[in-house]
Amino acid sequence: MLKQEINELLTQTGPATPMGALFRQYWIPALLAEELSEDDCPQVRVKILSERCIAFRDSDGRYGLIDEFCAHRGVSLWFGRNEQSGLRCAYHGWKYDVTGQCIEVPSEPENSNFCAKVRLTSYPLVKVGAILWTYMGDPEKRPALPEFEFVHVPPEQTYTSKRWQESNWLQAFEGGIDSSHVSFLHSGGLRNDPLFKGAKGNEYNLADLKPFFEVAEADGGLFVAARRDAEDGSYYWRITPWVMPSFTLVPPRGDHPIHGHFWVPIDDRNCWVYTFDYHPVRALTAEEVQAMKDGHGVHSRNIPGTYRPQENKDNDYLMDREAQKRDEAFSGIRGIAMQDGSLQESMGPIVDRTRERLVSADVGIIKARHKLRKAAIALRDEGMTPPGVDPAHHRVRSAAIVLPKDDSFIELSREAVAASPGVRQTSV
Amino acid sequence: MRPILLNSCAEATTAAETRFRIDVPITDGRAARIVALDEGAAVVVRRVAEQHWSGARFFTGVDRTPQLNDNRESTDVVLRATDGSQSRLDEQLAGADLVVMIATADDGAKAASAIGDACTLRGIMTAGLILGERREVGGAVSALRPHARVLMVTKDEQDVSEVLTALRA
Repeated sequence: MLKQEINELLTQTGPATPMGALFRQYWIPALLAEELSEDDCPQVRVKILSERCIAFRDSDGRYGLIDEFCAHRGVSLWFGRNEQSGLRCAYHGWKYDVTGQCIEVPSEPENSNFCAKVRLTSYPLVKVGAILWTYMGDPEKRPALPEFEFVHVPPEQTYTSKRWQESNWLQAFEGGIDSSHVSFLHSGGLRNDPLFKGAKGNEYNLADLKPFFEVAEADGGLFVAARRDAEDGSYYWRITPWVMPSFTLVPPRGDHPIHGHFWVPIDDRNCWVYTFDYHPVRALTAEEVQAMKDGHGVHSRNIPGTYRPQENKDNDYLMDREAQKRDEAFSGIRGIAMQDGSLQESMGPIVDRTRERLVSADVGIIKARHKLRKAAIALRDEGMTPPGVDPAHHRVRSAAIVLPKDDSFIELSREAVAASPGVRQTSV
Repeated sequence: MRPILLNSCAEATTAAETRFRIDVPITDGRAARIVALDEGAAVVVRRVAEQHWSGARFFTGVDRTPQLNDNRESTDVVLRATDGSQSRLDEQLAGADLVVMIATADDGAKAASAIGDACTLRGIMTAGLILGERREVGGAVSALRPHARVLMVTKDEQDVSEVLTALRA
């Protein structure tokens, strides 16, 4: 349960909001690199943190993320022409470069310097891995680029997709640190999904529907661990790292790739879910990549040409009651991604947390909310840099590990949860 | 059968439709017992107990002296409340649905064991909050782990209030 004012603080990420300021401390995904696949390709409208921008890649391969609307008459630059190292407004031909600087106002005299005085708001847009990242905060405080392992392994070892989720970012993100729903909502996936099935760990998962939970602080956020009984006086641990503000990793299964998410607010009622799979030491197989493209694992199958899932609220998420009866899909919805997405959207665009009834198994969510709130207030009141900004905090992994019952998961798994290039993930 | 009304399909998650959600209180708060397992934890529990709660009961110590034990039950654990009064664990667990154990050190292992066993017997949820730097409270973690279904290690004392508030204690 949260007070209304705290719920509003955590869910509102527009300009001049505390949580918006917090998000603006980080490099966050703005779009996939495939959306700007070549020089002078069509520009893309990007709404992010409740700001409407336009992203483009100019003739020289430079990326730009600038105010969507022309300074002249407020026309959307989406109708403009991406040509000759700039984006030209379709209305009167004003032209902007990737920094938002106006470089041409055709109606002005040849030797006028008027355009030098016109500059649209712009944000840096940098390709790291398959993602174009932006930083929307104070340029003076711009941190070093992201060092998450999934964007630094060789391209053949990683795959990223994204999907539109019609809900606030927080309720989507909270699903990523809520380990207790997996044995129910995703039970079908543990048995059947090509990117999940076959791991020994699944047997522990399905055999024990009442795991114990431990939450421990990490430099960049939290480790949320679920433990279940394993053989010979040992526990099976699944360790989920969260790096602030909204990066989470799913503990691996067998030799399957590691999955993870980055939730990015579009506005307060919509978010992008960036979803990735990567393997630290081997290329993804063609079958694995095809499975991801087909919406298996934690990916969604999207309507061709869009990032909207085929299972969406307009079609009741293609509810399949027969599959539900056959226990193939616990909720009747196909695919792990939209099993989560459908339920989180059903809460409403911004869930009313004054009415929820949390239980102690939700302690990871409770702690994460507290950390976010504290960080947002410390930033607002004291200018304190929040956890997760330092790229060193990005170098974490999820892990699945069997440990003796008396041992501390966090101490014994220290190496397992550190991202080490060329080292295989710890998985069961 | 295909839905024909807006409110009979998934589109009913709009903000406008949210207004039609039934707005009747669902349950009372949890019947929570909060027990400090050591002196450091007792200081925190005293502070937290001064806030407004919906029925949570706070205890600053656990004694194994059987001074109130009249052998009606096998337990000989006695809880000390914030006002100094004492009561038996089994009396306090009657009607409880959650016990939160607070620790800052590992000297509450026996108390945690007794409380954990009693809760298991009665189907009462247990949680453990361990206050301190992770590397310094390993003993407390090991002591509580077998007896707390949920365990959080935190250096932030505010987490005690946060968790209890979130659980409507």
